[in-house]
Amino acid sequence: MTVCERLSDRMPDVLRGHARWTADEATHLAGCADCRAEQDLIAAVHRIAARAPAPRDPSALAETVLRRVANQPRSRVRSLRSWAVGIAATAGIALAVWTGSHGKSAAPDSVAVAAGADIALPELEPMETAELDSLLETMETTPTPAPAAWSALGEPTLGDLDADELEQVLGTWEG
Amino acid sequence: MSASTVPDIPGDSELVATYLGGDEGSAAELVRRHSAAMGRFLYSAGAAPDDVDDLVQESLFRAFRALGGWRRTASFRSWLFSIAGNLLRDEYRRRKGRQIIALEDRDIPDRADPHGELVAVEMEERVRVGVARLPRLQREVFLLRAHEGVGYDDIAAALGTTPGAARVHYHHAVKRLKELVR
Repeated sequence: MTVCERLSDRMPDVLRGHARWTADEATHLAGCADCRAEQDLIAAVHRIAARAPAPRDPSALAETVLRRVANQPRSRVRSLRSWAVGIAATAGIALAVWTGSHGKSAAPDSVAVAAGADIALPELEPMETAELDSLLETMETTPTPAPAAWSALGEPTLGDLDADELEQVLGTWEG
Repeated sequence: MSASTVPDIPGDSELVATYLGGDEGSAAELVRRHSAAMGRFLYSAGAAPDDVDDLVQESLFRAFRALGGWRRTASFRSWLFSIAGNLLRDEYRRRKGRQIIALEDRDIPDRADPHGELVAVEMEERVRVGVARLPRLQREVFLLRAHEGVGYDDIAAALGTTPGAARVHYHHAVKRLKELVR
C-alpha cells in the first residue's frame, strides 16, 4: 500500500476527528497535491452535510412514522409480490410446456431456469422493495446471457415496479 | 464511595428488539438517533432541501415496516442509509430522470475574504452535483465512508457487495470527484 493509499484510507477518520495524522503522514500531505485535493474533497463533503436542513422534531417524526406503519397493511405489498411470483411461475411453466410441445431443443438450461422460478422466488418473499432493488442491482453488475426463449416473451416488467407503482397496477386489476 | 450510576445505553439492535416486542418508545429513540444523519446523507446525495424531511420520513417508514428483515450483518444506520439511497433512486426514476438536486442560492457571509468564501461555496456545489451524478453504489459507498466513517465490511453488508468491491467503488468515486476540487 502506498503512502497516498494509506492516507486515503485514514482520511475520513482524521477529518471526523477520530484519528490524527502522524508526523510522517503530515509531511507527505504537505507535499502531495493529490492527497491535498482528496482532503479538500472530504472536507467539502463534511461542509455540505453540515448545511443539510435541520431535522424535524424526532418525537413528532417517530409518531408520524409509527402511525403510518400501523395504518399500512403489510399484506398488501406482500400479496402484490405473490401475484408477481405467481405470474412469473406460470410464465415459466407455460414456456416449458410450449418449448416441449414444439419439440425444440431450446436450450434445456433456459427451460430449467424458467421452470425453477417457482423455487427461487419464494426466497425473495420476505424481502422489501428496497432490498429487492438492491439485489437486482447487484445482479445487474454480473450480467448473464438471457435465455434465448425469453426474448420472445418480452422483458419482465413487474419486477421493475416500486411499491407505489405496484399499488396502481393492482388498482387497475381490481377496478 | 458510591458506585457509578451511569445507565447502560441500549444499542440499536436492542432497541429494535424491544420495539418489535411492542415498545414504541424504542422506535422514537431510534428515530432520534438516526434521523438527522439520514437527512445529511440524503442532502449530500443530492436531495433538494425541501424534500429532505419527506424523504427521511418515507425512508424511516419503509425501514420500520421492514424491520424484521434487518439481518444485523450491517449496522442499523448503514441499513437505514441503504434504504434511503434506494428511495432517492426511486424518486429520481419517478421524476423521469430529471435531476433532483437543486443548486442553492446562498448568501455569502460577510467575512474578511468574501472571494475565498465564494470560491468555497461554488466548489461545494460542484461536489454536491458531482456526488449526485455518481453511479448509485459509488455514491452510497463514498458518502457512507467519507462522511459517516463507516468501514468497508459494514458498507458491503449494507449494500450487498463485498468489502473489496466497496473499496474500489470508493476510490473510483474519489478519483472522479477530486477533479472537481482542483
